[in-house]
Amino acid sequence: MKDIAEQEVIDIGDLDIDGFNAFALEQGWSDGMPLYPPTEAKVAQFVDTVRGDNRPFAPVPPRQVVPTLQALAANAVMAGCKPEYFPVVTAALRGLLDPDYNLHGTLATTHSCAPMVMVSGPARKELAINCGSNCFGQGWQANATIGRAVGLILLNVAGAKPGEMDRSTQGNPAKYTFCFGENEEENPWTPYHVRRGFAPTDSVVTVMSGEGPHNLNDHGSTTGDGLLTTFAGSMATPGANTIYGKGPCVVIIGPEHAATLARDGYTIESIQEELFKRSRVHASRISKENQETYVSTGHMPDGDWFAIARSPQDIHITVAGGPGKHSAFIPSFGGTTVASVRIAR
Amino acid sequence: MRIYNPTFGLAAAGGESMALKPVNWKSDAIALFSNSKPNARELLDGIRSKLGAFRPTENINFVAKNSASQPAPKDLIEEVAAKYRGALLAIAD
Repeated sequence: MKDIAEQEVIDIGDLDIDGFNAFALEQGWSDGMPLYPPTEAKVAQFVDTVRGDNRPFAPVPPRQVVPTLQALAANAVMAGCKPEYFPVVTAALRGLLDPDYNLHGTLATTHSCAPMVMVSGPARKELAINCGSNCFGQGWQANATIGRAVGLILLNVAGAKPGEMDRSTQGNPAKYTFCFGENEEENPWTPYHVRRGFAPTDSVVTVMSGEGPHNLNDHGSTTGDGLLTTFAGSMATPGANTIYGKGPCVVIIGPEHAATLARDGYTIESIQEELFKRSRVHASRISKENQETYVSTGHMPDGDWFAIARSPQDIHITVAGGPGKHSAFIPSFGGTTVASVRIAR
Repeated sequence: MRIYNPTFGLAAAGGESMALKPVNWKSDAIALFSNSKPNARELLDGIRSKLGAFRPTENINFVAKNSASQPAPKDLIEEVAAKYRGALLAIAD
C-alpha cells in the first residue's frame, strides 16, 4: 500500500465531519479551523470550472511538486469555497508562481508576509467579493474562503508548514486569509487592472507577499496635500523589510480620501511621486548598526535619507473600502513583485 | 468516503537525488556560503577559525549571494559546485 502522501485519492472509510477533521489535523492539512471534506464529487465540480484553462503549473516551491488540478481543488473545497471561486484561486496561484514573486523566499522567511489577493473587474460583483465597507474583514464567503484556499495550497502543496518550512518569527493573521476586491465604482482614477494593461472587461487577480494592512487614519486633513503628509509619514517605517529589502508596497485608498485627492487634481502618478519623496526615512530614525548593514549590502541612502521603495512605481495604488476617513498601507516582503493574472473564465 | 489528497503532486523533472562523493573536511576546498543576513559573515568567520585549528585555511573561501531575500543565482551555485568539494551554509538569522 502506498504512503498517504503518495496517494491521489484516499479512502477514509465512514468518517463523519468531526472524524475527517481529526484525520486532517493529524495529516497536517489544516490551518487550525474546520475543513470541508474534499470528496471526489465535490472536487470534480470545482475542476469543471477551469476546464478551459489548460496551461500547466510550474513546480511549486519550496516542495517543488507539480500540482494537479484535483489537489488544488481539494484545498479550495476544504477552505469552504464555492466551485465558481476556483478560477480565482488558480489565477492567484499562477501569480504566486511568477518567478519574481519569489515564492520560496516569501514562504521560508522569518518575515511575517502572507499573500495579499486583490480581485479586479467583473468577477468582483459576480462572485460577491467585498470591495466596500470592511473589505479586509469578516463576513463575506468569497473573501474569506478564496484567501483561505490560497493559504491551504501554500501549506499542503508548497509545503509551508509553520515552524518547519514556514519559518516566520511571529506570523500574521493574513496567513489565514487576505482577499478583497478593488472598489472600482468609487475609484476616481482608472481601475488598477486596466492601468496594468488588462481590458476593463477582464477579471484579474493581483497578488503580493505583504504584511497585513496598516491603517492610515486621517479625519482632519481636508486637502490632498494633507492626506499625503499623513500617508507618507505612516509609510516611513524603519522596521519594514522594504527599508533595505527594497520592493513594492500597496496603498489602498479609502473612497473618501480618494475623492479628496482627485478633487485636488492628484493623479495616481503624482500620488506615487509624492509618496516616494515624502516617505523616505531619515537616518536619525535608523540605528547605526542597521545603517552599516544596509550600506554594506548596497542599500545606499540618498544623503541622510533611506527610501522605502526603488522607485515611485513600486508604490501600487488603488481604491477599496467604504465610507470613512481611513486608507491602508501594505508593506511587502521586499524581494518580491506585484503579479497580476487574468482569471480564465 | 473517498477524498482527494490536498498534498498530492507530481515530482518535478530534475528533482532526483544524487549520490555524493565524501568530502575530506581536513583538506578539501570548502565554500563558506553566506545568506547575506546580518552577522552571517561573523558566524562563518568563527567557523573558518575553528577549521583552522586542524587544517589549512587557504582553500576555505567566503561566498555570498546578492540578497538575503532572493535565491542564489544558478551560475553562482554552479561555480561553487565546480570550485569546492564542500560548502557550509549560514541559512538562518
